[in-house]
Amino acid sequence: MRGFGSVFVQEWVILKHNSAWWATLGLLLVLTVLAALNGAARTDQMAGMGQGLNQGEMLTQMALKDSVMRWEETKEGPAPSVASPGALGLSVLSHYTVLPPTPLAALSIGQTDVQPTYYKVTAHPALNFLNDAEIQNPLNVLAGSFDVAFVIVFLLPIFIVALTFDLMSKEKERGVLGLVLAHGVSKTAFILAKGAARAVLIFSLLLLVGLAAVILTEPDLSNGAMWLRFGLWFLVVALYAFFWFALALFVNSLNKPSVTNGVILANLWLIFVVVIPALVNVAATTIFPAPSRVELTTEMREATEVADQESAESREAFFFDHPEMVGGDANADQFFLQVLATDSAVERAIEPLMEEFGTQAQNRQDVVDLLQYVSPAIMAQNALNAVSGTGTERFSDFSEQVLAFHEKWRGFFTSRIVKGSQMTAAEFDQIPTYDHKSLSTEELLDSTLIPAAGLAFFVLFLGVWSARRYAFYPAV
Amino acid sequence: MILTVARKEFREIIRDGRIKWSALILAVMLVAALGTAGQRFADISTERAAAQEVVNMQFAAQGEKNPHAAAHYGLYAFKPVTPLSFFDTGISSYTGVSVWLEAHKQNDAEGEPARDATAIARFGELTAAFTLQMLLPLLVILLAFPSFAGEREAGTLRQVLSMEVSPVQLLFGKALGAATALSLFIGPILILGLVGLAFAPGGFGYLGHGFVLVIVYVIYALIFLFLTLAVSANVKSAQAALVVMVGFWAISSFVFPRAASDASRLLYPTPTAVSFQANIDEAMQSGLNGVSPNTVVQQRQEQTLALYKVETVEELPINFQGMIFDLQEKLGNEVFDKFYGDLYAIFDQQTGLHQMFSVGSPRMAMQLASMELSGTALTQHLEFTGQAEQYRRDLIADMNRDITFNSEAGRADYRAGPELWASIEPFEYKPASLATLLSRLGPSFMVMFLWLALSIVAGVLAVRKVKVTLG
Repeated sequence: MRGFGSVFVQEWVILKHNSAWWATLGLLLVLTVLAALNGAARTDQMAGMGQGLNQGEMLTQMALKDSVMRWEETKEGPAPSVASPGALGLSVLSHYTVLPPTPLAALSIGQTDVQPTYYKVTAHPALNFLNDAEIQNPLNVLAGSFDVAFVIVFLLPIFIVALTFDLMSKEKERGVLGLVLAHGVSKTAFILAKGAARAVLIFSLLLLVGLAAVILTEPDLSNGAMWLRFGLWFLVVALYAFFWFALALFVNSLNKPSVTNGVILANLWLIFVVVIPALVNVAATTIFPAPSRVELTTEMREATEVADQESAESREAFFFDHPEMVGGDANADQFFLQVLATDSAVERAIEPLMEEFGTQAQNRQDVVDLLQYVSPAIMAQNALNAVSGTGTERFSDFSEQVLAFHEKWRGFFTSRIVKGSQMTAAEFDQIPTYDHKSLSTEELLDSTLIPAAGLAFFVLFLGVWSARRYAFYPAV
Repeated sequence: MILTVARKEFREIIRDGRIKWSALILAVMLVAALGTAGQRFADISTERAAAQEVVNMQFAAQGEKNPHAAAHYGLYAFKPVTPLSFFDTGISSYTGVSVWLEAHKQNDAEGEPARDATAIARFGELTAAFTLQMLLPLLVILLAFPSFAGEREAGTLRQVLSMEVSPVQLLFGKALGAATALSLFIGPILILGLVGLAFAPGGFGYLGHGFVLVIVYVIYALIFLFLTLAVSANVKSAQAALVVMVGFWAISSFVFPRAASDASRLLYPTPTAVSFQANIDEAMQSGLNGVSPNTVVQQRQEQTLALYKVETVEELPINFQGMIFDLQEKLGNEVFDKFYGDLYAIFDQQTGLHQMFSVGSPRMAMQLASMELSGTALTQHLEFTGQAEQYRRDLIADMNRDITFNSEAGRADYRAGPELWASIEPFEYKPASLATLLSRLGPSFMVMFLWLALSIVAGVLAVRKVKVTLG
């Protein structure tokens, strides 16, 4: 490794006086800070809205409870209509289940603009609220978000490539390489020193940028869970940056002119960041297409109509499904029983189709999980989404938790409707509330470290291959 | 002279093979995209048409029912697809595909395909439009970046200019050569695409759209061609030309659309679904101008009684309940018009901001034009939901008219039969004509022509300067 130190120092001096370098790094810094601020604005907005939703419904519940309580004290006149569990559960009350943002949510918008971050749970079938969507201009959703993950996955490679595509070829074209080797500097030392000088600069910048983003966007800097996520974030970002470094080194080892290196790297960027993701998406959706939403619509309609027409029969079927409820008060409110019966008939009719939606979605995700290893860009995006809690996995976990809660919520009212009992004021406090269980640390590590390992493999592979090639790299 | 230059440039590009790989990638992606587009069009158009038929039949087969119950049952409008909507899927993945048309309520379209997609779909969908918008410029850049700068490095630029060639001839010659090489790769695929369009079911009527699309994409390619030539003539080395153009392409194609989308969210925020619904509910309860719907109904009742000079609604020759339904429906529609109108005004402002950003990004102008011509722009989605809503209002009005005139006051047990359901014309979406689309595309076309003019002028200025500095 003769000469590593002197080349490294010399490289620093050259880079220090290279204004194009500083302009490029400055641009990267500015873009990342803008992206972080933008992400923070959106996360804050979401968190604020979630709180507002639950406060509103708590006030409603308290007012209803008060009216029942007042009646219980005096027992004058008929009970208020909201004491009927049917009226409460099937028309008045609903509960917003909110997905709280995780630390670092501001760094990757991920699927947040496509998947719901809250559901309005009612005692009706889940399909009634599962399809609700936030109001958005679809043009904005199509364009995507300018978040830090975008800067990292799409733009960082371009910056790295722009700064390294002529790393060796330029030295050779200028005849510097031969001269340096003639001075007894080893070839390996020369390459490593040049690479290291750039790597140190870019990594300190990434660390700086990451810390700036965290300080700008995180309200609580003493949160250990946040710093764990930041560690994972930096690991993924560093490995992804290393991948592009290694790729540029490898292309340089092909011993082509600088211009050709540039063309090759531009094509590789295109392949990894644009072409492969689009092809993987087509593969996943072609092999495991989602069942038709149109069919779901017509199916549900058919079932509703049939249920309405055969209301009497379906009421019996409902009791068949819920034998524990047959013994209840036979004078239960007929109307709400009717609604429950129709709901359950519709649910039963569309259940196979709903199941197909679930399994196909899982299969699709499996295909993507498998094929992500073909492109570091996909691995990086998936890992960054996971770090920010905005990936597909977290949203499907959320909808699963909401569905389980929906059963609980519905059971609370259904059992009372069927029994024909009235709600007492005390029972208002037993109305279930949604409590979101975050993914465990193991799951977080799984969904970030596995893609990170994939990235590390790419880096190692390219590194070893380039090293072998550089052994035979001609000096002139 | 231009032809000689063009011939030399063309031969060099073909021999050099530097665009071999990118051309291959582009060709493979285009063929794959057009192929899957054809398949998806066949599948989805059949599916939607069949679903619309089922829903229409369900409505017709309701049997004996009170018309108001039928209005509550309602029906669905499914968004039809055209062959071109798979050339450029536009916003289709992020909008619903069906609207439930029922009494009292304007519903949103539901069933966005994006909800079923994995996160990877956000990298971009494989469509011919996406391929052309993203890859075509890169191919053009790789084709043309060394044109002047490479010759300057080789020292041949001075020689060429010392001969009988004027700089402008040189520019257009090189452009022609590169364009010929390019059309060799892309031309056959585009022609195949147009032929496919002509033979697709219902595709013949969209051939005009297809031709305009081809022209717009050619202009798009020319913008990047002349820009690259201008940069190539301006900078010292081919390498610098490559870095500058790839940088411009990446920033304008990838950063600008996202920046526009986030800026429009910040500057013109849309209401949340929850507050939007709450506002509508509130206005439904207490009326838009402070007069509650109940008061309006009361007033109408008094007016009607006075008009017919009777004391009670039972004495009226019509069923007053039908009039109440109709009145409530109209009051509701005013509320929907106000709040959806406000929302769409915000959408308009947001889209306007995208158009402003497109001044800095040829790709955004291209994308807006391409979506509009393919029938997958926001305007067309709103046209569909608008027509569906108008159909809903007409349908409910028909039902209420039947109650008013064909039943007696106070008879809630009135039943209408299949003749009434059959008298309802099925919903049919009428897309805007090509002329309307073209007139809407004014801003996007202007931006593109501006870019084309600017890039040609920049090219001419750059080559003129070459002569001066070397002379």
